[in-house]
Amino acid sequence: MVALIKHVVLLIAALLAAESALGQGERGLETQIKAAFLYKFGGFVEWPAGAFARADSTFSIGVLGADGVAAELERLVAGRTVHGRAIAVQKLKRGEPLAGLHLLFIGQPEASRLPEILSAAKGQALLIVTETEDALARGSMINFITVDDKVRFDVALPPAERGQLRISSRLLAVARKVITG
Amino acid sequence: MNLLATRSVQQKLLAVVLLATLVAVLVAVAAMVAYDLRLYHRSWIADLTTQAELLGRTSAPALTFNDARVAKENLDLLRYRPKMRAAAIYNAKGKLFATFVNNADRELPALPEADGIRIEGDNLIVFKRIVADREILGTVYLQAEYELYDRLLSYLGIAGLVTLAAMLVAYFLSLPLRRVVTRPLLAIAKVAREITEKRNFALRAQKLSQDEIGLLADSFNAMLAEIERATRELEALNRESAREVSVRRRAEEEILRLNTELEQRVRERTAQLEYTNGELEAFCYSVSHDLRAPLRAIDGFSQALVEDCSKELSEEALGYLTRVRSSTERMAQLIEDLLNLSRVSRGELAQQEVDVADLAKRVVADLRHREPKRDIEISIWDGMQAHADARLVRAALENLIGNAWKFTSKAAHPRIEIGALRDGKHSTFFVRDNGAGFDMAYSNKLFGAFQRLHSVNEYQGTGIGLATVQRIVHRHGGRIWADAHPGKGAVFFFTLEPGEAAPAVPRVAEVAS
Repeated sequence: MVALIKHVVLLIAALLAAESALGQGERGLETQIKAAFLYKFGGFVEWPAGAFARADSTFSIGVLGADGVAAELERLVAGRTVHGRAIAVQKLKRGEPLAGLHLLFIGQPEASRLPEILSAAKGQALLIVTETEDALARGSMINFITVDDKVRFDVALPPAERGQLRISSRLLAVARKVITG
Repeated sequence: MNLLATRSVQQKLLAVVLLATLVAVLVAVAAMVAYDLRLYHRSWIADLTTQAELLGRTSAPALTFNDARVAKENLDLLRYRPKMRAAAIYNAKGKLFATFVNNADRELPALPEADGIRIEGDNLIVFKRIVADREILGTVYLQAEYELYDRLLSYLGIAGLVTLAAMLVAYFLSLPLRRVVTRPLLAIAKVAREITEKRNFALRAQKLSQDEIGLLADSFNAMLAEIERATRELEALNRESAREVSVRRRAEEEILRLNTELEQRVRERTAQLEYTNGELEAFCYSVSHDLRAPLRAIDGFSQALVEDCSKELSEEALGYLTRVRSSTERMAQLIEDLLNLSRVSRGELAQQEVDVADLAKRVVADLRHREPKRDIEISIWDGMQAHADARLVRAALENLIGNAWKFTSKAAHPRIEIGALRDGKHSTFFVRDNGAGFDMAYSNKLFGAFQRLHSVNEYQGTGIGLATVQRIVHRHGGRIWADAHPGKGAVFFFTLEPGEAAPAVPRVAEVAS
């Protein structure tokens, strides 16, 4: 009897542990997916010629307020390229300059700083990706959302056009929603 | 081919045309079908490959951003292509990402395979990796209708119809063509058949074309001309020889007729002659016979006058009487001779083996008995035999030896020789003397009756003896001839049997020596 109760307790404990691990795993998966998406966005977007200083300049991705994503991204891009360029990932701190960046991911914690960042990047061909609701309305270009436990994204074309960025229609085809202005 | 051998040329041509058409159509159809199927196969594969590539490209972002809905939308576009039966997209991990099934329940492979195209029954299956930036994003799976066998079947149906139509067209098109080819040939064949049936070599094949058949017609006609010429020559030759035969037969008939006529005429003439001869001889005989009675009266009474009235008659009258009696004697002799001549001409020949030497000896004995004073050398060969009438042979010898006796009367050393020359079976008898002889210029008159080469005064005779001898010899079938020289003697030869090969005629000189 005691053994049985012991077993049941053990089983329940195991189930709880599994539940906890799963939740943690799901969050990890979302980070991984977002990192992978960030890396892959590069292939569907064209930067103006002046965005790169040299022919062999690296493709720089800045991550602000999302260290998990940044870490995942760093792991992911090792040995990979975007438009034939090596990829550099910079974990940014608040207020750090944006010059030289080509893609900037602003995590949920830093979403409020969006206007500030936008103005700082004005005139710079910088693809801004966020994961905050209504970020697009405030100047973000691509915004992650989670639908049915799946990571999806919306695209707003006017800010991208203002930033001299051309987003491929193939990317738009898989976007959940495209705001054209 | 054996089947074809008995067919007409028309049918053979038809067979050739249809066979050629069949082969041509089948080859053409087979080539077209093969080409089309190959084209279908290749283009369909290329199409599907392109489709897979296209799907891969359009689905790459969906895979990249894990958007199955978009991928599904992409796949759903395939419903506008009814030949696509099923499609699927697998993600990089090999899990089904999006599927599409057209119309029916279809099993989709649980796992993607390596890039490739294969055919499973009537399905064409394509797997195509989706690669972007050297990264495998997933795999496209396409399953489409593969209608090669259906197409093949429908093509076979079409091929059958086309072949049938082509054959029909070829059949009807070949009708006038076949006539063009076969008409000259049939014309020749018709003429050949007519010639065989009617044996009329004057017929000629019509030349209807300038090709090999025309050449055949020419050759055939040349051959016919040759045959016709040969036949005509043969017929002419036959007619000629028939004519010659009939001419010869007519000539033979003519000869036969003439011969018969001649024989008839000869028989008639002979009968006539025999009759006349008989009449003549009978006349002669009866005249001679009847003459004897008055002659005997003249002689008898003359003798009576001489014996009984010699005293009353003058010497002169007696002399006249003597001359009368001499004349009557001569006349009696003449009559006797004439009767003899008649006799040898009449009556049957009684032929037997005759000892001619013996007969000659008897004749000589008679002569010596009549004139015992004559000093004359007579030699008779021994062993002379003949198959003849003894009485007639004796008469002949009497005449010949008598003549010799008579004509040697003035010779210095008279000599007579009777002998025979034998030549094989035949004997030629001769009677030779060394008396007066005669000129051979008159030899043709020798055996005529009443022909005399010497005057009565010189030698007595009636001129009938040699005629009698000749008659006797002729009755035996023999021949008689003579050789003589005036003053040196004469030799008479005769045979007593028929024989064309007369012995060489001995000359006087030979015999005399």
